[in-house]
Amino acid sequence: MEEDRKVSKTTSDGNGMPDLVFQRVIDYIHDARDRDAVSLVCRRWCEIDAGARKHVTIALCYTTTPRMLLRRFPNLESLKLKAKPRAAMFNLIPEDWGGYVTAWVEEIARSFRGLKALHFRRMIVRDSDLELLAQARGLELQSLKLDKCSGFSTDGLLHIGRSCKNLRTLFLEESSIIEKDGKWLHELALNNNVLETLNFYMTDLVQARFQDLELIARNCRSLVSVKISDCELMDLVGFFRAATALQEFGGGSFDEQPETYSSLSFPPKLCCLGLTYMGQNQMPIIFPFASLLKRLDLLYALLDTDDHCLLIQRCPNLEVLEISLSHGLKYKSGILVQQTRNVIGNRGLEVLARCCKRLRRLRIERGADEQGMEDERGLVSHSGLMALALGCLELQYLAVYVSDITNSSLEYFGRYSKNLCDFRLVLLEQREGVSDLPLDDGVRALLQGCNKLRRFALYLRPGGLTDVGLGYIGKYSPNVKWMLLGSLGESDAGILEFSKGCPSLQKLEIRCCCFSEQALAISVLQLRSLRYLWVQGYRASKTPDLLAMARPFWNIELIPERQVVVADPHGAAVSVEDPAHILAYYSLAGPRTDFPDTVVPFEAAAFLNA
Amino acid sequence: MSRSAVELDFFRMEKESAGKPQPPKKLFDRRRSFRDIQSVISKMNPEILKSVIATGSVENGNLLASKPKNDDPFLSPALPLLSAPAFGNRVSGTSPLTIFYEGTVSVFDVSRNKAENILKLAAENVSKTVDSDLPLTRGKSLERFLQKRKER
Repeated sequence: MEEDRKVSKTTSDGNGMPDLVFQRVIDYIHDARDRDAVSLVCRRWCEIDAGARKHVTIALCYTTTPRMLLRRFPNLESLKLKAKPRAAMFNLIPEDWGGYVTAWVEEIARSFRGLKALHFRRMIVRDSDLELLAQARGLELQSLKLDKCSGFSTDGLLHIGRSCKNLRTLFLEESSIIEKDGKWLHELALNNNVLETLNFYMTDLVQARFQDLELIARNCRSLVSVKISDCELMDLVGFFRAATALQEFGGGSFDEQPETYSSLSFPPKLCCLGLTYMGQNQMPIIFPFASLLKRLDLLYALLDTDDHCLLIQRCPNLEVLEISLSHGLKYKSGILVQQTRNVIGNRGLEVLARCCKRLRRLRIERGADEQGMEDERGLVSHSGLMALALGCLELQYLAVYVSDITNSSLEYFGRYSKNLCDFRLVLLEQREGVSDLPLDDGVRALLQGCNKLRRFALYLRPGGLTDVGLGYIGKYSPNVKWMLLGSLGESDAGILEFSKGCPSLQKLEIRCCCFSEQALAISVLQLRSLRYLWVQGYRASKTPDLLAMARPFWNIELIPERQVVVADPHGAAVSVEDPAHILAYYSLAGPRTDFPDTVVPFEAAAFLNA
Repeated sequence: MSRSAVELDFFRMEKESAGKPQPPKKLFDRRRSFRDIQSVISKMNPEILKSVIATGSVENGNLLASKPKNDDPFLSPALPLLSAPAFGNRVSGTSPLTIFYEGTVSVFDVSRNKAENILKLAAENVSKTVDSDLPLTRGKSLERFLQKRKER
């Protein structure tokens, strides 16, 4: 046909393949790294990929600008933006550090006509941003996630509730939201009947009315996941009855007498659950469907070791478990009245290993520390970990706080946990005389054995890992993209050896180590994939040794040492010194223009021209 | 050197001694001092800079970021580099405080109150253990939950 001849004449890739063919093919290539590779082949392929790219994640919003994003990917349907360093989740970053969404929302409102899904993580959002978003993209928006964000109030959410009639997902988990009233939820209930996921878990929104939740459940037949803030569970009887498609529920609260809850019935398909303040007496209400549970969140429950074991034994299909080393402390009017062992402990891990063969993700968080609470039975250590490695062969993600650790338990992971992609281990400070330090050999064995590892965090103590051990990490982690090194190594030699390896390392976090500025700077230059560095706790020098890593497109920022107010174990406000941070990252946008007082740019030019 | 003597107020002592009473520990405002340090260094005579850097030791302080552990917080910042005699520039109500430390000499114009606070601080045992330097912090949400649980 004439068109065929025309098409074969207009190919520009030199191989005789028409653009049209490639445009169809590229829709089947989803992985971001593959698309990245494709766009580097030639200009034409770059243009085709750019026009067809549907989703982009910008790991740090200051690496580029909204204009640049528009030029590169004008037809975006989904955008994820992150800002504050991960350390912000541990109260280590000033609240006003930055990461304002305003400029992005303005460009979205102006130009990104196809945008349906927006995810802001650890950013600062204003009510006016939400208003603009609702006005300009209200009807197109299908998914809005304000994930660990701050700076807005329920007034901003009101605009979303009113205008976003096609919203399938509203996610607000762990955001700091100023609460004026519960009207936003009411508006959402009135205007939306396609909602599938609603999440305001771990926010302090208490004026949301359960009646509105019930209305949403009645109107939205596809409602599948609901996670809320504290709300008496008995008020949700109507909600649970109406939400017949519900698979995931989190939040709530138990304020009534335990017997009351025996009449509570849950939706039939519920398989992901996390009930806040659930205690031993209320636990039996989930026994009837425990065998269906795939995900269990016990981080905010009040159970002891025996309870954990009892519950876990009934959940053979468990795939995801989150649990806390939470000591059973009962308070009345702020006074400690009872202490029980609220811990999972090694025994709990042994039960887990025996019963939950499908376990993919396990997170064991650190609970309350009270003086004199160190108890052999309650804490997690090598025997529990070894049982876990042996028993749960499907394990992909493990994050655990331990009180004791041995090389052999790490070796077990290397030998048995072949599916491990994400491994994070923190050695708690309390106990002296840990069995088997340094952990050089164990770490090497783990890294050599777990060749699917992409994320790795190790936080020990002085003596926990030698410079040789750090060298092992560098040598044996070919695919790891993110690492956190906490209190590792003995000297600069360690980090220098480490940085000769780690060929895939893109993001590096270092805390409480003894490395000098010079060693850090040289390491940055040696790590060939590195695009982001965060350091707190290092050996500062009189001279600006960080200069050694100064180079084009590499932004260096400092958060100088400052006084911060924290709560001590008794809840009293105490002023402590927060040591300085270094933050460095590649950026096409030049240095930031919105520094708060607490953050200072490292201006290499000032030193070079002296 | 043709310049007249310069008073370098990195620690906002003039502001502090003139203004409201400060708690003893908050002797200086490092945040602004970083920018100031940078701009002043760029104007300093490079010969003096070189000679001071050559004689200084590692423990004697830093320019930019957090101090080494076990360092006395008061003495660490670039005092040896930037001390300059304040002849003729003395702010009324202050007298020079001269400190000899590890081969370097630093001179400050301070009020009597300030001097007393400084001496008190120097007398305190300001040694810090490794643990308290950078304690493990807990996740925000978990921290909030543990607080709320106490209040129930």
